[in-house]
Amino acid sequence: MATVAGTMPLAQAREEQIRRFDTHQIIQHAGLMVTFILLVLSGMPLKFSEAGVSQWWAAVWGGIDNLRLLHRVAAWGIVVVCLYHLVYIWYTTAVLKRPFPYKMIPSLQDFIKFFQEMAYFLGLRREEPEWDRFNWREKFDYWAIFWGMPVIGISGFIMMFPVQATNFLPGWVLPTALVAHSDEAMLALTWIFVVHIFFNHFSPRVFPFNKSIFTGKVPRERYRREHALEYAAMTGEGKESDETDTGNIR
Amino acid sequence: MSKALDRGILGRLFLFLAIGMAVGVGLFLMSATQAKAIDENKCLTCHGNPDFSKTNGQGQKISLYVNEKAMSFSAHRFIDCTTCHTNDPHKVPTPLTKLSLAERCGSCHQYQYKLHLDSIHGRELVKGNPDVATCVDCHSNDRNPHTVIRVLEYNAPAYKKNIADTCATCHGNEELMANYGIVEKVYESYMRSFHGKAMQLGTYEITQLDKATCTNCHGTHDIRSVDDTRSPVAGLDNLTKTCEQCHPGAGANFAAGFLGHKEASPQNIPVAHYTEILFRILLTSVIAVGAVVVIAAIVKFSTKGWRKE
Repeated sequence: MATVAGTMPLAQAREEQIRRFDTHQIIQHAGLMVTFILLVLSGMPLKFSEAGVSQWWAAVWGGIDNLRLLHRVAAWGIVVVCLYHLVYIWYTTAVLKRPFPYKMIPSLQDFIKFFQEMAYFLGLRREEPEWDRFNWREKFDYWAIFWGMPVIGISGFIMMFPVQATNFLPGWVLPTALVAHSDEAMLALTWIFVVHIFFNHFSPRVFPFNKSIFTGKVPRERYRREHALEYAAMTGEGKESDETDTGNIR
Repeated sequence: MSKALDRGILGRLFLFLAIGMAVGVGLFLMSATQAKAIDENKCLTCHGNPDFSKTNGQGQKISLYVNEKAMSFSAHRFIDCTTCHTNDPHKVPTPLTKLSLAERCGSCHQYQYKLHLDSIHGRELVKGNPDVATCVDCHSNDRNPHTVIRVLEYNAPAYKKNIADTCATCHGNEELMANYGIVEKVYESYMRSFHGKAMQLGTYEITQLDKATCTNCHGTHDIRSVDDTRSPVAGLDNLTKTCEQCHPGAGANFAAGFLGHKEASPQNIPVAHYTEILFRILLTSVIAVGAVVVIAAIVKFSTKGWRKE
């Protein structure tokens, strides 16, 4: 209890890990991460084309044609990752009969705990709020992609096939797709680089970076602190979960 | 023995290398004289002097200097002065107007001259309007007939990648354009567009010729006002046909998606305009929340003591 995983010998620390993500989830995150970074690297110069650094970067890749090709290949890649995720959800629930991962669904509790966490950060509250399987940031990340992928994907495919798209859609979809695509990209980009990166790299508990999504495991002590309700339900010690079903641990 | 032989071969190689370098450097030095333009009548004896000038009837000093070095890169470097300046240039009065200049070019480039005279630029030129572009304004970097360069040279103002900037020397001038009722910021809106970005981020390679710039939609020598019904961008029908040149199968819907060198507004493709506003609100609020959370977390992590839990 008093020792943090990081201060223990490595072998001992390994024993203390609790499984949080399965292999499919690890692959989905890695695929999303790689394609997202490629899309940012190949997409930003297109948005900020007048900046000198964009022109330099485009020249590094041998001109815009190669950048565009990279952007399109990565775009198909991210679509595949998202379809993989949807198939995974369908397969685990419909075929393997695992419980539906409803703990990802936001609730009023998240809203309240968000303000509790803010109060804790600012020193107005002594205790951190206790999270179940997902904290509000994890849910926000997930649903931001869930809303963002259709927006950015549909607008992207309109721009990838403008002639075919306007065969059955009105002309205004073209300039609108550009606005939606690039602004949604900025939204995702700034959130990932400001909030997601900050908490998964610079939070004292995980510095220099949170390995859980790559190893699938979380040290026991950190699990107990960061997902107290789920941990309690899992181990049967201490607090009751504020949500009824606790069967979604894998 | 083999060592001595090696030294002999090495020594000979070194000697050949030294001779080769001496010959190479010599050839380079001999050929490194300034490239020359054809000057059969020795005009440059006087006109090659930078201070050579005359004073005209109004007491204006007019330079008669021709820069041979610049001339030697021009498209017409192998054409003698008299081809354009007549066989007896000192006897023939030269009215130095844009129109006379265009006429001169047109004596050889008849087809382009004809198209130009029927274009919006040419029509104004004939009226004596000094604002409009004529041959040298788009084909020479310093608007000088002696330095007209071929359009496939990378630094040519009419090279594909440079065309938008060339047009912008006039069409990017708000005051000048206001005189003609052209209020759209054509250069900026082009550079924001798919075509402009493709051009700006593209290389100077010849493959870039398939990317659209001003002239692909508006025409070159035959460029017309958008109010002229013969302009390739006048009206949706013409515009659609113009789009189809590069986008096979593009229909009227496709052409109607063009913002017309204007920003989206409640009058101009309102859906795009309101989408912009929606995302601006979304982006601002989400980023604000993110920033507040991160700043609060930084406050906590730094006051609590780094890594001390």
